[in-house]
Amino acid sequence: MALQIGIDVGGTFTDFFLWSADGRIETHKTLSTPSDPSVGVLTGLEAMAEKRGESLGDFVAGIRTIVHGTTVTTNATLTRKGARTGLITTEGVRDALEMRRGIREEQYDNRYRNVVPLIPRFLRRTVPGRLDRRGREITPLDQDAVRAEARWLAAQGVEAVAICLMNAFANPEHENAAEAIVRQELPRAYLSVSSRVLPAIRFYDRLSTTAINAYIGPVLEGYLHSLTTKLAEAGFAGVLLIMQSNGGVARPEITRELPASTLLSGPAAGPRAAVAYTEPHGEKSCILIDMGGTSFEASLVRDGAATLQTEGEIDRLRLGLPMLGISTIGAGGGSIGWIDDGGLLRMGPESAGAAPGPACYGRGGRRPTCTDAILVLGYLDPQRFAGGRMSLDLEQARQAIERCVAKPLGLSVEQAAEGMYRVINANMAHGVREITIKRGLDPREFPLVVAGGAGPLHACAIAEELGIRTLLVPATASILCASGMLLSDLQHDYVRSYVTSFADLDPARLQTLIGELQARGEEELGREGVPASRIEHQPALDLRYVKQYHEVTVSLPREVIDRADLGAIARAFHREHDRLYGYNLEAEGTALELINVRLRSIGRTEKPALPRLAEGGADPEAAARPPRRAFVPRSGGYANVPVYDAALLRAGNVIDGPALIERSDTTVLVGAGFVARVDAHGSYLLSATGAGE
Amino acid sequence: MNAPPVDKVLVSILGRALKSITDEMSISMEKTTRSPILCEAKDFVTGLYDAEGRMLEQTENLPILSFSLSPVCRHIAEHFRGEIYPGDVFFHNDVFSFGNQNNDVAAFKPIFHGEKLIAWSATKGHQADIGGAVRGGYNPGATEVWQEALRIPAVKVYERGKLRRDVWDLIFANIRLPIVEEDMRAEIGACTVGERRLLELVERIGLERFETHKQALFEAARKMMTAEIRAIPDGVYQGEAKVYFDGRTPGSVYTIRVTITVDGERIVFDYSETDPQTNGFVNGTYTSSASATVLTFLQMVNPGIPHNDGMVEPLEIIIPEGTILNAAYPAATTFGNHLCPPNADAIIRALAPVIPERVTAGWNPLLCSLTSGLDPEKNDSYVDIFFMGLKGGSGATCECDGYDHIGMIDASGGILDQDYEMFEQSTPHLLLQHELLCDSAGAGKHRGGLGVVSRVRLGGEGTELVTFGDGDVEPAFGLFGGGDGTLNSIELHYPDGKVYKTTSKDIVRTVPAGTLYVQVAGGGGGYGDPHQRPAELVREEVRNEVISLEAAREIYGVVLDEQTLEICEAETRRLRGGE
Repeated sequence: MALQIGIDVGGTFTDFFLWSADGRIETHKTLSTPSDPSVGVLTGLEAMAEKRGESLGDFVAGIRTIVHGTTVTTNATLTRKGARTGLITTEGVRDALEMRRGIREEQYDNRYRNVVPLIPRFLRRTVPGRLDRRGREITPLDQDAVRAEARWLAAQGVEAVAICLMNAFANPEHENAAEAIVRQELPRAYLSVSSRVLPAIRFYDRLSTTAINAYIGPVLEGYLHSLTTKLAEAGFAGVLLIMQSNGGVARPEITRELPASTLLSGPAAGPRAAVAYTEPHGEKSCILIDMGGTSFEASLVRDGAATLQTEGEIDRLRLGLPMLGISTIGAGGGSIGWIDDGGLLRMGPESAGAAPGPACYGRGGRRPTCTDAILVLGYLDPQRFAGGRMSLDLEQARQAIERCVAKPLGLSVEQAAEGMYRVINANMAHGVREITIKRGLDPREFPLVVAGGAGPLHACAIAEELGIRTLLVPATASILCASGMLLSDLQHDYVRSYVTSFADLDPARLQTLIGELQARGEEELGREGVPASRIEHQPALDLRYVKQYHEVTVSLPREVIDRADLGAIARAFHREHDRLYGYNLEAEGTALELINVRLRSIGRTEKPALPRLAEGGADPEAAARPPRRAFVPRSGGYANVPVYDAALLRAGNVIDGPALIERSDTTVLVGAGFVARVDAHGSYLLSATGAGE
Repeated sequence: MNAPPVDKVLVSILGRALKSITDEMSISMEKTTRSPILCEAKDFVTGLYDAEGRMLEQTENLPILSFSLSPVCRHIAEHFRGEIYPGDVFFHNDVFSFGNQNNDVAAFKPIFHGEKLIAWSATKGHQADIGGAVRGGYNPGATEVWQEALRIPAVKVYERGKLRRDVWDLIFANIRLPIVEEDMRAEIGACTVGERRLLELVERIGLERFETHKQALFEAARKMMTAEIRAIPDGVYQGEAKVYFDGRTPGSVYTIRVTITVDGERIVFDYSETDPQTNGFVNGTYTSSASATVLTFLQMVNPGIPHNDGMVEPLEIIIPEGTILNAAYPAATTFGNHLCPPNADAIIRALAPVIPERVTAGWNPLLCSLTSGLDPEKNDSYVDIFFMGLKGGSGATCECDGYDHIGMIDASGGILDQDYEMFEQSTPHLLLQHELLCDSAGAGKHRGGLGVVSRVRLGGEGTELVTFGDGDVEPAFGLFGGGDGTLNSIELHYPDGKVYKTTSKDIVRTVPAGTLYVQVAGGGGGYGDPHQRPAELVREEVRNEVISLEAAREIYGVVLDEQTLEICEAETRRLRGGE
C-alpha cells in the first residue's frame, strides 16, 4: 500500500498527517521530544501502526514518501546550541557579524542588550586579500594566512567554518581558494561559503546568512543522520523530503548544503494546505492565521503561492534567503492579561506557557490568560477540553480575572473577560495588517483561513476587526502544516548579483546568468530524481530606481528575459513599485538599475487529493449537543448558544451563528452575523450575512 | 460635562491602531526614499497629531526628531487657521518657527472628516541638501541662517489637492540635489498613507468616540509619566557640561547648565544659567534642545510609556532665548542637534546622585564626516555621510555594560551603518577597516560600550570633506568609580606622507585621491569599580581582544597568563585588595 505522511515537529506536539492511496486520511498528535526529535517521530509512527493493527516494520515499509518539517535548526539558533563555528573573513571587517550595522532596536531602553553573536570574536579570523566593487582583484588572497588561520581554528576545535569575503558576490575566486585550503586543514568541519549560500550584494546580509548556515549545519546533519538511521532500521525504503522555509521541499542531501533554508521549516507548509482548502471555493489567495498556545502567526497566499521575503530575521539576526513572509506576535491561548501603569488593559506578549499554564488548568497558574477569558465567556466546555482528556476549573479562571483585570478596571468578571478577548483580537488583527496593508494590500480582498488549536474561537472577531467577510476553517485546522507538507513541490531559490544601470545592461550577460542558475536548478532537481518534464523555472529580477536603496523583486515571464525586453521589464517594475508604495516614476523617465537576478526552480510532485465527507442536508440537527450559555460579541450579552458535535456534521449542513462547533482538538465559534456551511471536504466556510459595517 | 462614557478596552485598541498607522508610514518612507541618510540611516520620523497639533502617536527612528513635529504642527494649525483645506500639503523647516534643524524638512497633511479638520499626518526627514553655502548643509563658517540653508517657513505646496507648481519650483530651484525633490515626494506619500488609514479608523469607531478615547489615551500616558516622576525624590538638582569649539575660535568653550526641580508629579528643566549663544553655527534651537531633554529623560523612565502628548505634559522645559541652546534670530544653528550629547551629560550628572539605578554613564558623542565629489568610473557625483565611522559606545548602567558601536545618544542605535558593499558601490572609496576598538570602553564593574576604528582609502575626484561633531577634547565620563571612554578623532594621511588631524568642525576643500582616512569613534563611560568586574568576564574579553592584557592587569586588576590566558589567582587577589 502506498502511503504518504507529513510530519511536523513543533515545540509542544509532533503532528502526523497520513494519506493512503485509497484516499483515506488519518491524523495523529504526540508529544515532541526536544532533546532528539526523531524519538518523537518514531513514537508517533509506532502509535499509528498500532492503531492500524500493523507492526511498525510493515507500516513503515508501506510508506512511499515522508515529508518532514523540523524545528531543530530554529531551536539551535534561538538557544545558541549550534556548532562551535569559526569565520574566515577579509582583513578589517572582523566585527560586522557582531555589530549588526550598529542597531539597537529599543532606543529608549538602556538595559536592552545586543544579540550574542553566533561566532565569538576570537573565532572570527581575518586574512589579507581584496576584490573591488566589480570583483576585480586589488590584493591577491594571502593563502598562507588562510592556512594559518584554518590551522588555528582547527586547534580551537571548531566543527564548522563560515567563509565570507568582501565583494565575493561579484567574484567567487578568493572564496573558492580559501575554501580549498580550509577543507585541507579541517577535513571534517562543516563549511559554509558565502558565494554559494547567498551570492548577492550586501556584505552584512550575506555574512549573517553564511554564519547561521555554518552554525546549524552540523546540527541538521546530526539530526538527519539520527532520523534516517532510525527510519531505515524501522524498514523505511521510501523518499524522505525536508520542508524548507521557502514553502518547497528538498531531499536531505540538498538540505545539508543549505541548512539555513530550514529555519521556518514547519510554518512554511501552512500556506500550501490553506490554498488546497480554498481552491474548491474558487479562491487561490488567502490570509492564513495560526494561533497556538503562545504565538500567533499570519502569512499570505497570493495566486496559489505563499508570499516570501528575503529580508527576514531570526532572533534579530539577518537571514537573506527567501522564506515565508510571516508575522509573529505573542498572542496565544496562554497570553497573560495585565494592567499597565497607565491603567490600560494589555494582553501578552508574556505567556503562561504549558507550565504553570492558564489559571483554569489548575496547575498553579494565578495570572489570567486568554484561555481563562474564553472559558468565562462560555466558549469552552470545561468537561470536554482537549477531547475530554482534561477538565478546566472555571472558578480559578474567574478568580484570576477578578483579581488582575476586573477589579483594577472596575468591571465585572464577564466584562473583563470580554475586554481581554477584544484586546487580544485587536493585537492579532494588527499582525494581519503587518502582512497585508504594509505591503499595500487590502485584507478585505482575501478570505481568512484559520488554523491552530485556539484560532477558530477568535477568527470571526478578527475578521470583523479587519472587515473580512469570508472565513474558512479547514478540516485539518489543528494540524494544518503537517497536511500541507504532502502538497508541497520540490523547490530551490537561487540568486546572483549583477549590479548595473539599465542603460549598461548587457543582455547576453543576463541570459548567461539565468542559464547558469537554471543549470544548477536542473542539476539539483535531477539529483532529487525529478524528471525534466516536471521541472519549471521562474525568473525574477531585483530592480530599483537609480539611487534608491531598496529593490523590488519583479517576477517575469521567461520569454521577456530571453528577448531581454528591457521595455517590458521596466513596465513590470513601474507597476510593482506603484502597487507596493503608491507611486511610480514612469512618466518622469527615471532610470532603473538592476541589482540581482533570481531563479526559482520547481520540481512538481504528485499530490494527494483531499478526502470527501459524506453528504447530508442543510439541517445540522443530528449533530446538536445541549446549548451552552455563552457571550455573543455583537449583541453585548450572554445567550444560550447552540453547540454541535463536529464528528456528526455532514457536507451541506448549514449552521447560523452564533453557534459553537466542537472538535476533539479545537472549538469553532461561528459569530453572530455569520453563517457556516460544511463543505465537501469537511471544512467550514463562514460568511458574513449582514450588509457589513 | 456630558461626554460619552470611555470604553477602557477601546482605549487600548485605539493606541494599538494608531501605532500601526505611524509604523506603516515609516515603512513607506524607508522603502521609497533615495538619500542614504533616509533609506539606510532612517533619519526621519512619522507621526499623527490631533487638530490642535498634539501628538497622537509617532514612529521615531531617531529620538532627536521625535519631539520636533508637534511644535511645528501647532504653529501651522495656528498660522493658517481658516485657510486649511482637504488636500493641502505643507512643507516646513524654518528653525525660527519651531523647526529643529535646517536640513530636517517636514511635510504636513491635514486630515478632514467631512468638513472638519480632525488630525494631521506628518513626516520629517533629514534632506541630503537644503541650499545654503555648503553642499549637504553643514557650514562651519556660517554666522547667519541664510549662509546655511534655504528657509522654508510653513508653505503650502498643495492646495485642495492641486500642486502649487510655482512654490514647488521656488523651493527646489534653491536645492542642489534632485533626489531631495524625490525624497520630499516620498514624505508626502507617507503622509497620504497616514491620512487614509486614520480615516478608516475613525470610520470604524466613529468620530465622537475617537475624540473622547483620544483624551483617555493622553491621560493614560500622563499617568504613567507622573508615576515615574513621583518615584524621583523631590528636590533641586544641578548639572553641567561643556561644549568645545564653536567652529570659529579655536579653544572656545561654552557651558550648558541645567537646574532640575522635581516636585511631586512635575519636573522642570531650567537652562537659564546656560552660556549665551555663539556667533557661529554651534547653536541650538528651542525645539532641538527640548527634544534632547525629553529623549534623555525618557531613557530614565519606563520605556513602555506610549509616546503621545500626555507623556510630555508633566515635563516643563525652560530655555531662555539667546542661550546656546536657543539662539536668537538670525543665528546659524545647523549644529544644534549635536548639542544633545552635552545636554544629556548635564542632565545625567544632575540626576545620577538621586537615581543612580536609572542613569547611564556618559555616551560617546558624535564626530562625523561627509564626503562629496565625483565617481569617475560611474561619471556621477555622490554625497556620503560616513555613518559607520561615527558610532561610538554608550554609557554603562548599574546592571549592564554599555552598548557597543551604538552611536550618540540622540540616535541611540537608530542610525545604521551603511552596508560595506553598498558603500563601495555608491562611492569611489575603498573600506579598509571597520572594527571594534580594543580598550576604547571606559572600564567599570560594567564597562562602557566599545568604540570603532575606521580606515578608508579615498578615491574619486574633487573630493571635499566636511567634519562636524565633538568628543575630541573630553571623553565620555565614567560614573561611581567607572573609567572614562576614549576620544574621537579624524585624520587624513595624504599620499605625500603628511598627516592632517581635522578639527571637530572643519572643511577640507580638496582631498587628493589615495588619501587614507582614519577615524576613531570612542567608547562610552564605565559604571562602578572595575575591580568588581568578574575576573572570568575580563578574561573572556581579553581572549576576544576587546580588553588588552595590560588593561586587564592595570585597570581591572586581573592578571592573566600571556600564553594560556589562565587567571593568575594569587596575583589577581593581591591587585584587587584581597577580595
